[in-house]
Amino acid sequence: MSIHEKIKKLLIVDDDIDLLEQHKMLMESKGFKVVTAESGKQGYDVFLNEKPDAAIVDLIMEESDSGFVLCHRIKRTEYGKKIPVFMLTSATYETGFKFSAATDEEKEWIKCDGIINKPVVVEELLQKLENFYSK
Amino acid sequence: MDTEKIPRVLVVDDEKGLRVGTGRLLEMEGFSVKTAENGTEGILLGTREDFDLAIIDMKMPDIDGIEVLRKIRKSKPNTVCFIATAYASYETAIEATRIGAFGYIPKPFSPEELIQQLNKGYSQRLLLLESEKLKKEREENLLELAGEKSRLNAIINAIISGVIVVNKTGEIVYFNHAAIKNLNLDELNIGDRYEEKMPQKVNDLIEEIISSEIKTQKSLAIQIEIIKPNELIAEIICTPVLHPDGSFAGVVLVIRNITEMKKIEIIKSQFISMVAHELKTPVAAVQGFLNILIDDRFNIGYEKQKEYLSRSVVRLSSLLDLVNDLLDISRMETKSKKREIEKLNVPEIIDNCIITLELEIKKKSIRIIRNTLQQECNLFADSNEITRVFTNLLSNAIKYNKDKGSISINIEENKNFIIARIEDTGIGMKPEEKDKLFQEFFRAKNENTRGISGTGLGLTIVRRIIESYHGKMEVESTYGIGTAFTIYLPKSYK
Repeated sequence: MSIHEKIKKLLIVDDDIDLLEQHKMLMESKGFKVVTAESGKQGYDVFLNEKPDAAIVDLIMEESDSGFVLCHRIKRTEYGKKIPVFMLTSATYETGFKFSAATDEEKEWIKCDGIINKPVVVEELLQKLENFYSK
Repeated sequence: MDTEKIPRVLVVDDEKGLRVGTGRLLEMEGFSVKTAENGTEGILLGTREDFDLAIIDMKMPDIDGIEVLRKIRKSKPNTVCFIATAYASYETAIEATRIGAFGYIPKPFSPEELIQQLNKGYSQRLLLLESEKLKKEREENLLELAGEKSRLNAIINAIISGVIVVNKTGEIVYFNHAAIKNLNLDELNIGDRYEEKMPQKVNDLIEEIISSEIKTQKSLAIQIEIIKPNELIAEIICTPVLHPDGSFAGVVLVIRNITEMKKIEIIKSQFISMVAHELKTPVAAVQGFLNILIDDRFNIGYEKQKEYLSRSVVRLSSLLDLVNDLLDISRMETKSKKREIEKLNVPEIIDNCIITLELEIKKKSIRIIRNTLQQECNLFADSNEITRVFTNLLSNAIKYNKDKGSISINIEENKNFIIARIEDTGIGMKPEEKDKLFQEFFRAKNENTRGISGTGLGLTIVRRIIESYHGKMEVESTYGIGTAFTIYLPKSYK
């Protein structure tokens, strides 16, 4: 089963407009429809209006925890619980931020289904999305 | 008989003839003699002076010999006493020796008999003195030892690190006050079991040392958060104590309060995390553009290619700014660059800053208003550092200004300070943004700041430079109206 049957529309939220544009292009080239937002606040509005099939959310936006907040807000909705939500960041273990989404407990705490490093490797992202549906 | 010392004898007898006769006899034999003619005088002399020997008559009119003997023995226990009496009887002899008489001389006695007895007594006296001397020496040694111990106690109690000694059976045998404090214990007593008092992780270390087969002098150390979060952090070093023969005696624990050190470490590591993040983001952006440009699948036109390349250049130049700012901060921290203190004229420095920022000023059509009354405002400082302060402040005043806005610059001086105020008509700050202003990498992010580039370190650098000169900085800001920075720089350099 192709991932495209599950995910047609993808939401990407990032305040770095360069990265946002690149990620949009990359995912569009893989056949997804991409909607974007440039802040946590805007991201939630787009999520509610567009009902995407998956979301990729940057961690540090207007506040250093904007991504956390957005993930929590998405996962608090009935619809959000059903879709894969990934946190996008360059701030992971190597940079000293002590969190990960390796275990179910951590995923529950962060309210996301995984962490994706910047810059995004498309194949890795697709694999993660597929894993979400195959579990 | 001791030839060097003349034995001193006290003769107590109420009978004058006998007293004088005995005295004369003994002096002839090389004794030194004092006589007492009754019990009262006998007690007086015998308790005042430390005689080697005493001959005490049993029967005297005032106080009897037994009582005199008792008093002398009590006061001078090393005086060897003899009881002399005409009423010889076995019972009196027993009574006399029971209360400490060395011998019993029945009257009348022959001179040979007396001398023989006294010589025997004198040997005893020398023995007594010798043993007393030894006893005294031993006591003095013990006193010294006790002094040494209390001195050691005072030293160990004075050091700010905690010390606990656990013996090989696991009992706490020694500790100082700092140990209780640094481990945040309610109380600690000699004889307590260590495992009932120490944090579990410390118990594990002590257990490891006590149970290990081979005892070496190697220490084990651990850092523990005693009061969370980060209220009290202690470093505990456990070292085996070995007897001189190498056998195991116990474990000594040194407990250091490292809370402040740890806090600085945490701030540092947070800073490094932020730096890593800030460095990684522009690199990721540039890499992303290059990946798209290099990939044939993205068939983007020439115009788009040019756009992505120039956007990459923008990201790289801001990355370079960031690296430069970081290097500046690093230099300030390590003080690796020597300051060149010279007399500076602040209005002149500000003019130079304005010249270097001319392009940006023109781009936004910003008007510069100088309110400086005098042309000379001197202070002693490093020219590069003061230039950096004003460049950063003016650059912010331009970046966060409105198009066609203005910047007014005011320079004053009082007895000790140069006071410079830079006020813009920019976007201003919300109170919560103002609070975070001096946080490293904080940059207000809202609809008005989109597109304004910066490293987030500019004001950090300004603050650090000003503080290093013992100056201060004040900020006033109204959202949507503008921001004013006032800096106070000491005129003389200390």
